[in-house]
Amino acid sequence: MIDDDTLDRAISSLPLEEPPAGLHGRIMAATVYRPRSATLGWEVWLMATLVAVAGWLSWLILSVPRDSERLADAIGRLIDAGGLTSLNTLIWLAVGISAAWWLSQLTIPARRRIESR
Amino acid sequence: MGAAVAMEPPVAAAVVDDQELIAAALAGRPDAFGELVGRYERAVYNLAVRTLRDRTEAEDAAQEAFFKAYRALNTFRPGAKFSTWIFTICYRGCCDRLAKRKRFSGDELPDSADPAAGPAQLAERHDEAQRLRRAIDELPEKYRTVITLYHLQGKQYEEIATVLNLPLGTVKTHLFRAKDLLRKALTT
Repeated sequence: MIDDDTLDRAISSLPLEEPPAGLHGRIMAATVYRPRSATLGWEVWLMATLVAVAGWLSWLILSVPRDSERLADAIGRLIDAGGLTSLNTLIWLAVGISAAWWLSQLTIPARRRIESR
Repeated sequence: MGAAVAMEPPVAAAVVDDQELIAAALAGRPDAFGELVGRYERAVYNLAVRTLRDRTEAEDAAQEAFFKAYRALNTFRPGAKFSTWIFTICYRGCCDRLAKRKRFSGDELPDSADPAAGPAQLAERHDEAQRLRRAIDELPEKYRTVITLYHLQGKQYEEIATVLNLPLGTVKTHLFRAKDLLRKALTT
């Protein structure tokens, strides 16, 4: 019968197996050199949820007779109420948007810091 | 900014401590994580090979363990041992794989205990080391892992208990029984 010390020594002296040559490269490729995804996880979930809600609403509208016509009427009334069919409103809207865009393109120089001596 | 990055010395040359390597990896230095992988890939691979007894699956398990560790690196508790942490991740991954294997085949073992055994290895079968290795391979999974962690990886009882999520007494009992089974296997 083998004694405890002999068994311990035998086990401790067992050589470890060498990992496959490509393992280090595979690990690095899967971790630090992994290409970043173009979209984040929560963005994918948000898009999927929006698509699902849009699909469900479409099905709801199409499944009830004359609901699509009523919806089109409601949207038309909303556009009229907002004045979006008036030429003047559209012109002012265009002026406002272009002014906002032009202001956003301006680079205002930062005020020089006055250092106390 | 690029010049500043280029000025930094190679992390392995400047840093020797695992904690510092982790901090450097978290700061976005890929060579720091590469150094950690270099330090532990052999041990992690061996733990996976001994637990799973399948080299191809062990390679996947080792890669998966490092991938999970990398993703969760910011949750690593300062002061803890990286080796214990990565062994724990690897062991849990191996347990999942064994559970799947049992679910699909009803058998823990692959077809052969050593599928890569070639003529040279077959010739060495009577060698003491080879006999011991085979005896370890034939131990039940819980004893095999304890033996692997305690002896092959140079682990302490407390760390084995952490990795395996077992009470200290159970680890000691498993180790005692594992040695007893090994003695019997090697004597016969």
